[in-house]
Formats: sequence, structure tokens, C-alpha cells
Amino acid sequence: MSRNKNSTMIMTVTLLCVFVFSMSDILIHSGSVYAANSSVSDVQLLARAINGEARGEPYEGQVAVGAVILNRTKNSSFPNTIAGVIYQPGAFTAVDDGQINVPIDPQSTVVKAAQDALNGWDPTNGAIYYWNPATATSSWIWSRKVVYKVGKHYFGI
Amino acid sequence: MSIRDKLQDFKRRLSDRKMYSIVVVLIAAVALWGIYQYKHAANLRQELDNQYNRAFYEVVGYVNNVETLLAKSMVSTTTSKTATTLQEAWRQANLAQTNLGQLPVTQPVLASTSKFLTQVGDMSYALNAQNIRGKQLSDSQYKTVEQLYKYSSSLNKSLRDLQTDLSSGRLKWGELASKGTKLFSKTKPGDMMKKIQSVGTVFQDYPTLIYDGPFSDHMTSAQPKGLDGNNLNSEQAKDKVRKFLGADKISSIKDAGKNDQGPIKTFSYTVTEKNAPKGRTINIGVTQKGGSIDWMLNNRPVKDKKLDMNKAKKMGIDFLKTKGFDNMIDTYYLVQDNVATINYAYKQQNVVVYPDLIKLKVALDNGEIVGWEANSYLSNHTTRKIPTPKVTMADARKKINSKMKVNSSGLAIIPTNYKKELFCYEFKGRLNNSDFIVYINAETGNEEDILMIVNTPNGVLTM
Repeated sequence: MSRNKNSTMIMTVTLLCVFVFSMSDILIHSGSVYAANSSVSDVQLLARAINGEARGEPYEGQVAVGAVILNRTKNSSFPNTIAGVIYQPGAFTAVDDGQINVPIDPQSTVVKAAQDALNGWDPTNGAIYYWNPATATSSWIWSRKVVYKVGKHYFGI
Repeated sequence: MSIRDKLQDFKRRLSDRKMYSIVVVLIAAVALWGIYQYKHAANLRQELDNQYNRAFYEVVGYVNNVETLLAKSMVSTTTSKTATTLQEAWRQANLAQTNLGQLPVTQPVLASTSKFLTQVGDMSYALNAQNIRGKQLSDSQYKTVEQLYKYSSSLNKSLRDLQTDLSSGRLKWGELASKGTKLFSKTKPGDMMKKIQSVGTVFQDYPTLIYDGPFSDHMTSAQPKGLDGNNLNSEQAKDKVRKFLGADKISSIKDAGKNDQGPIKTFSYTVTEKNAPKGRTINIGVTQKGGSIDWMLNNRPVKDKKLDMNKAKKMGIDFLKTKGFDNMIDTYYLVQDNVATINYAYKQQNVVVYPDLIKLKVALDNGEIVGWEANSYLSNHTTRKIPTPKVTMADARKKINSKMKVNSSGLAIIPTNYKKELFCYEFKGRLNNSDFIVYINAETGNEEDILMIVNTPNGVLTM
């Protein structure tokens, strides 16, 4: 009896492993397909980036993240389109780890925040970087000058 | 059952023939699956590598073209030829910039290369526009082109060195991009990073460029014209916040930062209102010089819509007047979530001055002002010397497509990408069921800009 039980257990575990791994493969695929869709409008793309990067942040922190993305498009050292800035390799962790594809909660303020940022509101007054001081791993980022602090994020130039 | 017993039990069961074959099959299946996954991952890595290589080789190609085109533009003697050459240089620099952004290197490494390409593109564009109008390059412009040419050749040289390393297999993109596989990499990712960084070091002594493009250094650091008064300390700035929002409504003001970079230096504050629900704040930025309100955001949810747009526009104008901004007229608006974002431009005599812009967010339930954005007003506002138009309204009107039905006309000062203001006639009209605004220069009669108005379900805005 116990023998049977154990063998079924081993098999279930193995099958589960196979299932989980193949699922993760599928997930990665659907993610990359979603990210490659470039027909979304600026507001939508910006809102998704804000959703990935700052959904738990206060409203002005969300507008500030949107403003940083837009400030980068106006800065000569960065790509000059919203998509170019958002998908620049290594620029945003939410893009690298697929958080940008998390669906936007209908109650969330991120779309409104994206709209305010596009309309010109910039709580950071020109910042082109932000980071979470608790989790930032790059020592380089600390060479930036902090100009605005909100929620978990520092904004810098 | 102890672990020992379990192991023995397991051993016993393995010796069972049926169980043995099941385990073998399982192991084989897992191994096959693993091989498939490995191959799949390797394919994906290869695809990525190909993309990176494509982007890199395209950058090399475009930078090469930029170099040649800049050289050609210095040789050319006719303005139209210079114009077409520079136009092409602008396009190629843009393409190089786009592809540069696809390389798997982080922004700081390529910042100066990117900046260089943007400025080459911009300057080419600006000079091209000048040449199209038949004006030759001035001596100082010629020198700028010469300088940029020299930089593009040295950039080209470092890119070619990098290309040699890449094609001989000494460097691999994948090793740079995927931080996870250090174990199998033949080169240290640091090596690659250093080589790419050295491409950027060419530009360390890259001088300030003087030209009239949007990214030119002397333009981005331009002094704001709309600020006057003394520099304030944080306490004095807080007083300005109290005055703006009403001291009786405020329960606390908290520091949120101080921005000393950029043309407009500011203090930022988080303000909590009396009786505000937990977590709701008003955020506000005040200029250090003079204590003007730069921006304000109040994230109060607006549940319903009781005011019509005419009433909302009027309330905005009244609010501006109480804050000392007279002669403002509304130009465009957008409604979202029961909040109207309305643009107000300054009007001097009978001329609408579009660069002096203040945006207000008016809550459509009670008319409260829940947003303020005055950055462009503070950067640009000054009393202008408005000349008498050299072109008459009737002559300007003739320049407009005869098919367009003109509904209104007037004088306006409009901003351009190159931070110069233009004095124009403004004609609003319709053609093929779309609304257009056409700007005809009031001094030269040139057609300066054409805007198309897009009626979105939320309101009216220009594109």
C-alpha cells in the first residue's frame, strides 16, 4: 500500500515539474508576443510602463515615473520615442522581467497618471532617473543628484 | 518512517522490474525534454544575438554614412545640394540612433555617443531648413560641421575596432546581455562593457555645440524669462504654498525634494489638507526664484459632472485672475474622468502668445482647481515688442489653400522646435471635414506651420 502511494507521489511530482516548466515556457512566449505589439497608443504604453514600475506608489509618484520616461525622450542621451525609451535594454526592471505586461487594474490610477504626464505635469521638474534606494544594486545610480522623493522612489538628474 | 527506511524502501522498489522500467522511461522523458528546452533556449539566444549584430552593423553603416555626408556638405557649393546632403545626414543619424538603442548595453555606457548622434541629426535638420530657403552656411556653421565631421570619423574608427573584435568572435553580445550565464562565458562581461565604453570616451572632450537645435546645450540651459524676485529659502516657499492653496485649508506641509538642476529651480512639497482622507495629498512645486507655483496636482477623485465646459473655462479664468494672471484666454481642452484639462495662453494686445501657456485641471463636480502646470509660462513669459505686420492679412489669406474654408483668423506668436518665436497670422478653418490651423509668418509671408485638430471623444486638442 505504502509502496503504491510513494510511486504515485514520485510520478505526480515529476509530472508536475514537467508541467510547470513547460508552462513557464509558454508564459515567456506569450509575454514576448504581447510586448512586441507596437500598435498601442502612447497613453496605453506609458500607462503599462507606469503600471509595471509604480502601481503601488502614490499618484504623484506614478505621474513622476511617466514624466521621467517623457523627459528621456527629450534628452539627447536617450532614444527619442516613448517605445524606444521604455524598451531600451536594461533601462527599466519592469520591462526586463515582464512586469510591464501585467494587466492594468480598472480601479488603478495609472492611465490617469500617464495622461497627466503626457499633458506636461512633471513633479520631478526634469529628472531622467529614478530608483528604489532599498533595492538599487548599481552603485553608479548614487552618483545622480536626488531632486524629488516620493513613496519608495528617489528621482534624480 | 525514517529517511533511512524510506531510502531502503525506494531501493527495494527499484529492483522491482515494472517500477524499474517506469523510472527509466521517466528519466529518458525528462532528459529529452531537457535537451529540447536547451536547444530551444540556444535558438532564442542565437536569434537575439542576430538581432544585436544587425543593430550594431547598422549603427556602423549609418555612422559611416553620416561621416561621408558631413564631408560632402562641406564641399558642396550650391545651397540646394547642401540642403539635400544635410537632409540625408539627418536621416542617417536618426537611424543610427534608433539602432543604437537596440544594443544590449545600458544607457550610461552609450550616453555620449547617443548625444552626439542626436545633435548631428538636429543640426543637419536646422541647417537643411536654412539651406532650402537659399541661405548659405555661415563661417561659424561651417566650423561646427567641420568639428562634427572630425568626431564622426573618430567614432567610426572605434566602431570599426569593435566590429573586428565581434566578427573574430572575441566578443559576444549574448554574454553581455544575459547576466545569468557567466559560468559558460569565455570572456568576462566586463571586457565587452569596457570596449563599448571606450567608444564613448572619444566624446569626453566633446565641446558644447552652438547651434539653434532643441538639444543644443546653450538652448537647454536657457534662462527662464518669466521668473523674477529674490531666491527664497524653503520656509519662504512654504508661505507661498499656503498663500496659493489657502492657509486655512492646510494641515501640514512636508518636504519632497529640491531641484537645483535645470533652468527652473524648484522646491517640492506634499501638502495634507484638513479633513483629508488617509493617503490623499496635494503635491506642489514652487520656484526657488520668486516663489511662483510651477506645478500642482490634487488627486481627488471626481465622481460626477455638474458643470458644462463654458462654466469650467470661466472658473479657470477667474482662478487665474485671483492668482495675478490677467489676459489669459483658453485655447484647447481635454476632459477625462470628469476633470477638464484646459490650456490658457497669454494675450498681449490682440496677439495670442502660445509659448506663455498655463494648464489647469478643473474638477467638473464643483469647479475646484485640481491641477496647475505653468512651466512653459514661467520659461517664456515676458512682455514682447510686437512689430507691425509687414504682410497684410489679405495677402496672408491668399497663401492658404483655396479649398480650405476659413472660420476665424487673428495674430499669434507661436513657439518652434528651435526655441525661436514666430509672429504669424493664424487661420482656423475646415477642409475635407477636418479642422486645420495654418500659420503664415506676418513678417515674411512664409507658411510656417499647419496643425490638424483632432476631435477626440474627450474633448478638443491639436496634433
